[in-house]
Amino acid sequence: MSRSIRRGYAMLAGVILAAPIFSGCSTDRLVARGASPLIERGVSAMNRETDTELARASIPATLKMLETLLLLDPGNVAYRTQAAMGFHGYALGFVEPTDPERARDLYRRARDHALVALEDAGVSRSTLNGDVATLERALAKLDARALPALFWTASAWGKWIELQLDDPARLAELPRVEALMGRVLALDESYYYGGAHLFFGAYYGGRAPMFGGDFARAARHFDRAAELNRNQLLWVDVYRARYLLRQAGERDAFHAALSRVVVAPDGADPELNLANALARQAAAALLAREEELF
Amino acid sequence: MRGILTRLALAGLLWVTGAAHAAEQHVLKFATLAPAGSTWMKAFDAWGKELATKSQGRLSVKFYPGGISGDEPDMLKKIRFGQLQGAALSGHGIGEIHAPARILEVPFMFRDHAELDAVRARIMPALESGFRKNQYELLGWMEVGNIHFFSTRPLANMDELARRRIWQWQGDRFMAAFFDVYGWSPVSLPITEVYTSLSTGLIDTVVSTPLASIALQWAGKTSYMSTQPMATGIGAVVVSGRFYAGLPADLQALLKASGAQLSQRLIAETRRDDVKALEVLAKSTRPLAGLEKVDVAEHAPRTRKAVAALEAQGYLSAELDRQVETELAALRRGRE
Repeated sequence: MSRSIRRGYAMLAGVILAAPIFSGCSTDRLVARGASPLIERGVSAMNRETDTELARASIPATLKMLETLLLLDPGNVAYRTQAAMGFHGYALGFVEPTDPERARDLYRRARDHALVALEDAGVSRSTLNGDVATLERALAKLDARALPALFWTASAWGKWIELQLDDPARLAELPRVEALMGRVLALDESYYYGGAHLFFGAYYGGRAPMFGGDFARAARHFDRAAELNRNQLLWVDVYRARYLLRQAGERDAFHAALSRVVVAPDGADPELNLANALARQAAAALLAREEELF
Repeated sequence: MRGILTRLALAGLLWVTGAAHAAEQHVLKFATLAPAGSTWMKAFDAWGKELATKSQGRLSVKFYPGGISGDEPDMLKKIRFGQLQGAALSGHGIGEIHAPARILEVPFMFRDHAELDAVRARIMPALESGFRKNQYELLGWMEVGNIHFFSTRPLANMDELARRRIWQWQGDRFMAAFFDVYGWSPVSLPITEVYTSLSTGLIDTVVSTPLASIALQWAGKTSYMSTQPMATGIGAVVVSGRFYAGLPADLQALLKASGAQLSQRLIAETRRDDVKALEVLAKSTRPLAGLEKVDVAEHAPRTRKAVAALEAQGYLSAELDRQVETELAALRRGRE
């Protein structure tokens, strides 16, 4: 081994040894990223859970684990979107039905995680909060890699607004959410089981026509979502009943749709087990309020 | 012995009437355009709970929010057919029950809320009587918010409004009279077409409350806004006279008392929302220069002319309008 090569190895060893001292953050990131397969499998195991009580008890620990990893690796986009999805799902399935105020804070937390991923994709906070035309131009530059960040930011932000309809500042943010979800639709309408169509079904179905509602358009979005996920995601009919059928005053259709959901068996996709179990619960809760709602 | 028997008979009678009373359940089906979760619906929900608690379950309210029962003319139709018993209405719906009440939302008439509150308090007995004569019981007054101009273009002076394409709610006779007097050319459209029409340029100016402008997303199309309100949109919480007459006296009293408190809350919270909405809009709009610092005294001759036209049509009441003028003049003298 030549002297220069030996010197090169020595320098490399020095750099490696020095790394933990001078770049603690890098080590943190290495540790955090090492947990990635565990987190991915953990998310999958949770999605496959059929016992909602087990899920209710264990999801908070998983979310805190994700936030621990994000302390080590704040810019980890994959963890950010997983945290956004987790907080959004936990709030929707377990918290909002009984404690909307707490759910509101959890949706904000979900959105804040997703926003880090969206910034990484190239949409700055100032662009996001600026005028809608500028935002739309920035969104037009994004490709399919930005889909998770776009979808989870819009989903969590939309729910956060929905629980604060008494705040004009939140209402004013709605066109931004619409722009983000519109970009999801344009990039890949099938993303997350046709979730963007589900969003627009609720968006146009949950309001009277004089406030921008459009029942026919909402129905088309719900139908397309169901088609894209091959009727596997039971939330489509729950949302159809909760927003469109209630707003349109279609009680019989409301009752029929939710009754179908309540008795629907698990589908072919085990990744939807938990989502569908929660959809059945949501359907039963809405059916119990039928007399009050119509 | 006879006294004991009489007392027993009386006690029995009281027990029977008491039981019948306790068994009597009244359900008020109540519609509003306010969506679930909005400031108004939160106030209405609290009101419904209060009525149920204080009546010990004898009077309950079933709400139909967010326009589920249709727009205001639809709601009034359903009230006439007995499908609904009550509603929260804006000036549009009030115009179909007791149009003279709309004197309170005449453009450029009141300088501020203090004037409006003082005059309204003085004419409230007349308003209640007017609603009652038209088979409605007025439970509480409210406001939909201050009304401003929103435009896609700047405005150097008020005369330029004559060259603007201003949206007018289709079928609104009240606003049509003011458009006529001012020489404005309205574009009459249903509210559902306003957003698209602002995009296509069919209209370039709308009058609306700040909150409605945000909620209906018109604000994103209109970069200019008048910071001084032109009027305050009125609103009312009403039940049908038939429903009200069918209630026992204690529940009638409960409805009226709780309605008065609800009214105070709704007016205060609507005004608070107005301020918040204006703060939001101030970040994305510029003032319409031609509508800043409007002197209401300068507008008096024109508004009086429009009011006279509406009186001639039988839409407004000359008697009530003179009372408003007298009260306002007395108030201003007292404030000077």
